[in-house]
Amino acid sequence: MSAKAAPATGGVASFRRRLLLAMMVVVSGTAALMLLFIQRNMAQAARAGFQREFAAELAALHAAEDVRHASLAERSRVLARKSRIHAALEDGAPELLYPSARDELLDLAGPDEGGPRDAAALRARYYRFLDARGRVIRPVDAQDIGGLEPADEVKLALAALPDTPQTGYIRRGGADGGQPVDELIAMPIISSESGETISALVLGFKPESLAGATGDAPISGGILLGGRLDLPTMPAAPRADLERALNAAVAAGGGDAGEIEFRGPGAPDLVFFKRLNPGSAYPAAYEVSVDSLAALVASQRRLGWEFAAAGLLVLAGAYLASHVLSRRLSAPVERLAVDAEANRAHWHRAEAALETTSQELQRSARFSADASHQLKTPVTVLRAGLEGLLAGHELGPEAREEVAGLVHQTFRLASVIEDLLLLSRLDAGRLQIQFSRVNLAPLLEALLDDVGAIPDPFNLEVDADIPPELWITGEKGYATLILENLLENARKYNQTRGRIGVAAFTDGEWVVVAVGNTGPAIPPSAQEHIFERFHRGAVGENVPGHGIGLNLARELACLHGGDLRLARSDDTWTEFELRFRAAPGEGAPP
Amino acid sequence: MIPTCIRGIATGAALAALLAGPLQAESAVEGRVALPKADHAPVLNQRYSIVAHNGVLSPYPPLAVVYLEGSFPPPAVRPDAQMVQRDLNFFPALLPVMVGTRVAFPNEDDTYHNVFSYSPAKRFDLGRYRADEKPVPTEVFDVAGMVTLRCDIHEHMRAIILVLATPHFVLSDAAGAYRLAGLPAGRYVLRVWLDSKTTLERAVELRPGETLHADFP
Repeated sequence: MSAKAAPATGGVASFRRRLLLAMMVVVSGTAALMLLFIQRNMAQAARAGFQREFAAELAALHAAEDVRHASLAERSRVLARKSRIHAALEDGAPELLYPSARDELLDLAGPDEGGPRDAAALRARYYRFLDARGRVIRPVDAQDIGGLEPADEVKLALAALPDTPQTGYIRRGGADGGQPVDELIAMPIISSESGETISALVLGFKPESLAGATGDAPISGGILLGGRLDLPTMPAAPRADLERALNAAVAAGGGDAGEIEFRGPGAPDLVFFKRLNPGSAYPAAYEVSVDSLAALVASQRRLGWEFAAAGLLVLAGAYLASHVLSRRLSAPVERLAVDAEANRAHWHRAEAALETTSQELQRSARFSADASHQLKTPVTVLRAGLEGLLAGHELGPEAREEVAGLVHQTFRLASVIEDLLLLSRLDAGRLQIQFSRVNLAPLLEALLDDVGAIPDPFNLEVDADIPPELWITGEKGYATLILENLLENARKYNQTRGRIGVAAFTDGEWVVVAVGNTGPAIPPSAQEHIFERFHRGAVGENVPGHGIGLNLARELACLHGGDLRLARSDDTWTEFELRFRAAPGEGAPP
Repeated sequence: MIPTCIRGIATGAALAALLAGPLQAESAVEGRVALPKADHAPVLNQRYSIVAHNGVLSPYPPLAVVYLEGSFPPPAVRPDAQMVQRDLNFFPALLPVMVGTRVAFPNEDDTYHNVFSYSPAKRFDLGRYRADEKPVPTEVFDVAGMVTLRCDIHEHMRAIILVLATPHFVLSDAAGAYRLAGLPAGRYVLRVWLDSKTTLERAVELRPGETLHADFP
């Protein structure tokens, strides 16, 4: 037993280890996945929030820029409608164009008097008119209209006069240091006489978006013009890289706006570019806004560390939980394994015992059969001898009575042997019932007659309640044997002036025969043993019998598909109830 | 289509011409100018009297100025003319004057006006002035040609002063009918100004006391 328990314990331990491992894998895998998922989500949310913020800041800048632009455009439009300018162009006085415009544009392009910043932002640095072919009309005197190098002045020209206002950007060659890019608005001048565009007024401004006055916001702005990036806040080396990246993005995207992530020497930057003059006849210019991702990267790195720490904690928790759980889960299995081991041992023992019993049973059955056969013959011989003696005249009357008693005993002996033979056949499973329809009523009547005929020391009174027809399925001989047994018992275990009651009736598919007597009560402790073989009631020591009658009767009743049980046993009445299967179509003879 | 209720417009110049010549020798020209149909929608607002269409300035409703070209002795008196600014418009929209005529520009609106011209025939700028400006700004137009008047403040305002080198001119009526009287006999060129790009002409010979009938075209 202990030798077998050791491997079982080892198996359970290994089971526990595997369970713990599996749970660890599952729990930590799940936890890791969840953490990863949450971390990604949070990172994405942070990034989206960052972009939203950036976009909002840009949108605010753009809104301000749009207002300024609209204001500039409106002022330019008003200027382009001025009578004097039209008169100079339409009434044949080109030499008066710039002088006329000078007065009209005084408020827009005049000397800066150091007004508020808004006013300065709306002040034109210079202006020029374009002729009917889009070329710049050279002023006679550039005074008061803003000086411009001839090389830069040419950049104001357009391939053809536009129908709508155009926004453009030029990089001036003779740039004055900090701010080399100018913003242009070309406002078409449409003749009131011909309805055609006869000229255009081009105003040059300092672009507001490049002023970079965005407070403490980390955004820095620049302009990508003609493939060259002006971004004053960025050192030259990364700026060249960003310039290449932007040019590639513009060439690839083709759109008017986009977003790239630029990895410079430091933290990565989020770079938005947006065409400043979509659809313009002037060369494309892009506003470039750079927002450092440093804060975002730092916060994401912090987030990453936090998640790693949380992951470790979760892992530790998971380990503990797995450990406890696997222990708890494996405990019943462990018990089960031990029980199974014990069970197996029990089973082996039971199997061996069963084998032994079976062999013994067979042996005893064989023995019973042999014994019965061996016994029957001498009994017959004995009886014949005794009957021979009785038939002769040698015996005196006393001896004759003695011999007659012996003959009677040989009948009892034969009866016992008969019963034993029957039992042995039953035990060997060789007893076959030949079923047929049997009417119990005449059998019972006859048996009761026999009981009445036997000389009876008890002066018994027999009550019988038997219907004339009691058809059962069974074998007549065995049915008789059962009834005989019961009636014999009822007679034997009785008292002086006692009573035997036999009642028979049909109960559905059963035929019930109740045989009762006024015998002594069977003690409850003995009741469960009365159907056992060779059991005799304690009261019946002086009563003839061999203790196999009830056993045999019950076995036979069961073979008939019926039953025999003790229905009642007390001081006044003991009653057995016998059941047979009722024959179908009761009442009709077969 | 052309309203018939419009009568001929007397001009100071014509009267001057009448007074200048000897009465018994006077000739006259009359006729009808086929005016362009006024059915096209004006480019600018209909109340404008000078409209621009395809780069051509013309009076609306259509009118013609008929004048006789030749060498005439200068008239003794050149009556002044007026170009009134009223209801944010010039009135009249088309004013023919003889060379050397002084034209006054009274402002009858409640707002400023700033009459100016960049036309080669006469460049001037009256500056801003109001109705109570005294004296009323005037300009002498001493070069023949078409002068486009504009207002620097009101971009839509437009008028034409046709400065002619002859005292003999007249505005047609709305139907195109005209009559030039008090003309000296002789050979001349009769011209009809229809718009800024169209002037018709025709050689005429006037006999004393006769009235010539000349229709355009």
